[in-house]
Amino acid sequence: MLNKTVIKLAIPVAVGALALTGCGGGDSGSGDTVKIAFEGPLSGDNVALGENMQNGVQLAIKQANASGDLGFKLEYVAADDQGLPDKAPTAAQKVIDDPDVKAVVGPAFSGPTNTASPSYAEAGLVTVTPSATNPLLTDEANGFTSLLRAVPNDNMQGKAMGDFFSKKIGAKKVYLIDDKTDYGVGLSKVAEATLKAAGVSVVKKSVPQKTPDYSATAKDVVNSKADGLIYAGYYQDLAPFAKKLSDAGFKGAAISGDGSNDAKFVELAGSASENWYLTCPCTDATVEAGTKKFAEDYQKEFNRAPGTYSAEAYDVANMIIAEIKKAGKDVEREALRDALAKASYKGLTKTFSFEKNGEFKGTDVFVYQVKSGKIAYQGNVNELIG
Amino acid sequence: MSLQEFWDYLVLGLMLGSLYAVIAIGYTLVYGVLQLINFAHSEVFMVGAYGSLIVLTLVDPGANPSMLASIGFVALAMAGSALFGGVTAYGLEKVAYRPLRRRGAPRLIFLITAIGASFFLYNLAGKLFGRDPSTLPEMYKNENVFTIFGAGVNITQLLQFATAVVMMIALDLLVNRTKLGKGIRAVAQDAEVASLMGVDIDKVISRTFIIGGVLGGVAGFLFANLNQVSYTMGFIPGITAFAAAVVGGIGNIRGAMLGGVLIGIVETMTVPLLGDEWRSVSAMVVLILVLMFRPMGILGERVGRAA
Repeated sequence: MLNKTVIKLAIPVAVGALALTGCGGGDSGSGDTVKIAFEGPLSGDNVALGENMQNGVQLAIKQANASGDLGFKLEYVAADDQGLPDKAPTAAQKVIDDPDVKAVVGPAFSGPTNTASPSYAEAGLVTVTPSATNPLLTDEANGFTSLLRAVPNDNMQGKAMGDFFSKKIGAKKVYLIDDKTDYGVGLSKVAEATLKAAGVSVVKKSVPQKTPDYSATAKDVVNSKADGLIYAGYYQDLAPFAKKLSDAGFKGAAISGDGSNDAKFVELAGSASENWYLTCPCTDATVEAGTKKFAEDYQKEFNRAPGTYSAEAYDVANMIIAEIKKAGKDVEREALRDALAKASYKGLTKTFSFEKNGEFKGTDVFVYQVKSGKIAYQGNVNELIG
Repeated sequence: MSLQEFWDYLVLGLMLGSLYAVIAIGYTLVYGVLQLINFAHSEVFMVGAYGSLIVLTLVDPGANPSMLASIGFVALAMAGSALFGGVTAYGLEKVAYRPLRRRGAPRLIFLITAIGASFFLYNLAGKLFGRDPSTLPEMYKNENVFTIFGAGVNITQLLQFATAVVMMIALDLLVNRTKLGKGIRAVAQDAEVASLMGVDIDKVISRTFIIGGVLGGVAGFLFANLNQVSYTMGFIPGITAFAAAVVGGIGNIRGAMLGGVLIGIVETMTVPLLGDEWRSVSAMVVLILVLMFRPMGILGERVGRAA
């Protein structure tokens, strides 16, 4: 009896409290705070890639606040889309509904970018993605008017993979696998076209994410007698696949893209990851001279080395901060979007400027290789195939 | 497909199928005694995998353990997964299902509870163990041990297959030859009459859950060893194994074994013929075809009668 009474009382109180806090958050449209959001996978299977970028953004905000010459306070807002297209609109809506948010770094993945961008476009809230590389995203027919891409797209990366195999490795037959995601399919299409144009024969297959057993596919790769393998997908699925490939005795050269370019791939796949090539439009922050200082700061702040896209996310956040600083803290979302679209910003990793449709100007793709358990930087692909 | 390739994939399919079979038994056992589809079984499987991961992280096999040590690590990991799986299944029955049973709740409520328990468990696991996947530490160097019909079989596959077969034989003996088995069969045939005959229904049901949980847990370990550990790892194998149980005849233990192996082989054969993306499609086509001609599954229903 007592329990029931308590519950009867508690429910209205709890609901009331929630409603109050809800109002409190929504009203503070003007203040001394400007918020920058990051949308990406902060939980779920690809959380490592999201955290890399989140850390970069947070570091940029922290340093800007510490510098003392902003005149306002920057705050970080996390929007977790789990890297899933169906979760992204909700994550985006949460950010859009907060009037203090002036710009978004992200969305991190191509699928979520595709589903969240209509809402961002409608709200006039600019999203600068350091990592969503599907070429179709910047197609003007989409009407993603708030999207700026701060990274060379998969056409560049897919072409780099194809060129690397045909010109550097000299492969005769390449087995090409995509993971059925927007990212994987886009990447593999361009790689296939590049390889075919170079006269390399291609076996193209799709293996959806979370396949329970990669043994059969690994066997199929070996049976196809291909001397090269391209996997267009993310590390979480590549890791078990790489293990099965090594068990099945695959001896050819193997390459994957930026979705797999993470230390977690090596950790999960162990010795099976050895000698895998990884391409990425991202540079290695710990190796490149320009990003040494950033890498040290990052290490100090998060007690680990920067990962894939950490430095790019840091650059993008700083670019946004610079524009807000120029325009003042009361800048309208649309005005900030237009300013960023026209901006040219020299970051640590590269110079950021955009085409009319929001596409990145620039084509540099870099190659890495797993060597004795470390992802070792090999250099710019154009120089390697030279 | 050449003959050699056919053997290659058949062996791979048999390995995967044996794993599905062990998971399917968990569904079938519980269905047999409670007429309940325990959708939380896929989470028992997942918890079992984490059990082996926890044990292996604690004992830490290090690099290149000796053969004897390797066997020890495998045994420890297996014991860990069995313990975690068994305890989870036991707790599930005690917390989620028994109170409903006491109140005579309708079947639908059990089903919803099962789905709720499944959501609860995997989100809890995600919270506790992190949402990043992990792999089991290497317990041995995975080499080919022998060749059958020209298809190489490595230690992981052999371990998986042998464990599955041993567990299935042990279970078959347990159900058909022991007093507990007699109790399980009695409850499966008619719970009310069984209780009049002096069978302690609660005890039998509880133990049935534990047996299913131990099998599911060990399957979780074997699967983790084949693939990796993550909080969502239970979903796809769970659904597939459930389909396998239905194909064989839900409630029928030997049916679950047969269904598991069949689905495993069909899935694996699909990969070279149609591509991996058709894997689950072909498994479900088998399910539909079987149900069209034998609505009760290949071997028919009920633990009591057919086992």
